[in-house]
Amino acid sequence: MNTPRKCLLLLFVPVMLLAGTFQAWAARVHTFRVDGLACPFCSYGIEKQLKAIAGVSSIKISIKNGTVTVTMKAGTRLTRARAGQAVRDAGFTMRDFR
Amino acid sequence: MKRIAGFTIAFLIAAGTSLPATPAPITTNTALPVAKGEYVFRQQAIFNQSGDDPSGARRDHHVAVSASVLGYGVTADLALFGVAPLAYKKLRMTAPGGARVTREDSGLGDIRAFARYTVYKRDMPGRTFRIAPFAGIEFPTGDDTATDALGRLPPPVRLGSRSWDPFGGLIVTWQTLDYQIDVQASYQANIEAGGFEFGDVARLDGSLQVRLWPGELGDDTSAFVYGVAELNLINQGKNRMSGVANPDSGGTALWGLLGLQYVTPRRIIEAGVQLPLMQDLNRTALQRDYIARGGFRLNF
Repeated sequence: MNTPRKCLLLLFVPVMLLAGTFQAWAARVHTFRVDGLACPFCSYGIEKQLKAIAGVSSIKISIKNGTVTVTMKAGTRLTRARAGQAVRDAGFTMRDFR
Repeated sequence: MKRIAGFTIAFLIAAGTSLPATPAPITTNTALPVAKGEYVFRQQAIFNQSGDDPSGARRDHHVAVSASVLGYGVTADLALFGVAPLAYKKLRMTAPGGARVTREDSGLGDIRAFARYTVYKRDMPGRTFRIAPFAGIEFPTGDDTATDALGRLPPPVRLGSRSWDPFGGLIVTWQTLDYQIDVQASYQANIEAGGFEFGDVARLDGSLQVRLWPGELGDDTSAFVYGVAELNLINQGKNRMSGVANPDSGGTALWGLLGLQYVTPRRIIEAGVQLPLMQDLNRTALQRDYIARGGFRLNF
């Protein structure tokens, strides 16, 4: 392998490794819809259930749109199953988890 | 004594079989959920005035109650509630000799505990429909043995009934982003104790809450103001003393309430006034003038 190629490889591999590591550690944001939510007082139950999940950094609920946005701490993730369980425990129905 | 015993115990009727803690009606229950592990606390002050006396004894009856309610979500479908009332009751009347007498008492009334379970739920975007039966017991924690210079206090002034009274019913709720409707049918069986038995109470309650503010929801809207209108149709059977029905007790009343609620994710502040729209009470049973309510709810 000639020298320019070697230099390219030496640069490329660490950069890719760094990019992969950064992606793994960046905060993840999940959104989903909650059916049945129609008043502010009911939204607290959803917030409380989600806050009990390890790694949850912040929660934003839009009553108008029936959407919940959950930001996770770096290095953690929220599964569809766990989010669905939290919404069910709040007394509502989840759909369109992303 | 007969006239005194002839009172309808309208506080028990008008105050409701159960004070709800979840967001919703002021005088009746809702089928909306209490999240698993969540607590909802409610404090409500109730002022009850009665002075329309057909008996000629010029009875004037005041009841002030501070009711504390705690609800807990065992699961998303099963919620438990406890209601503890602190009451002040006063009765002024003209005694047979012509003197005006006052009889009063204050303290803890009969505590109620009940469970509510959601048997049907249909969630849609921005709306929900639910059905939930409930059942509970009213415990004889209020003192019914208090006396004054005239002897044992009459039933309208006693804090408790001395009896274990079961009650139950069914709630149907339809909620959208713009309004909510709750309908409840309930029945309380009042059991005989110490020779006295209040008449059983059957109720049909309806509540409409309409969002007055904001007019248009924003993406970040987190507080509503509701206008509340409620109807309470209540029938109480005749009281019985040693098995004999008192003809001056019991009857049917229809109450209407108008109120306001300010609702946020963590708290509700509310107030309302109930007026009797119809009172078809038996003979000299005392008629109610109005009931005023105000309070707040917190969840945690």
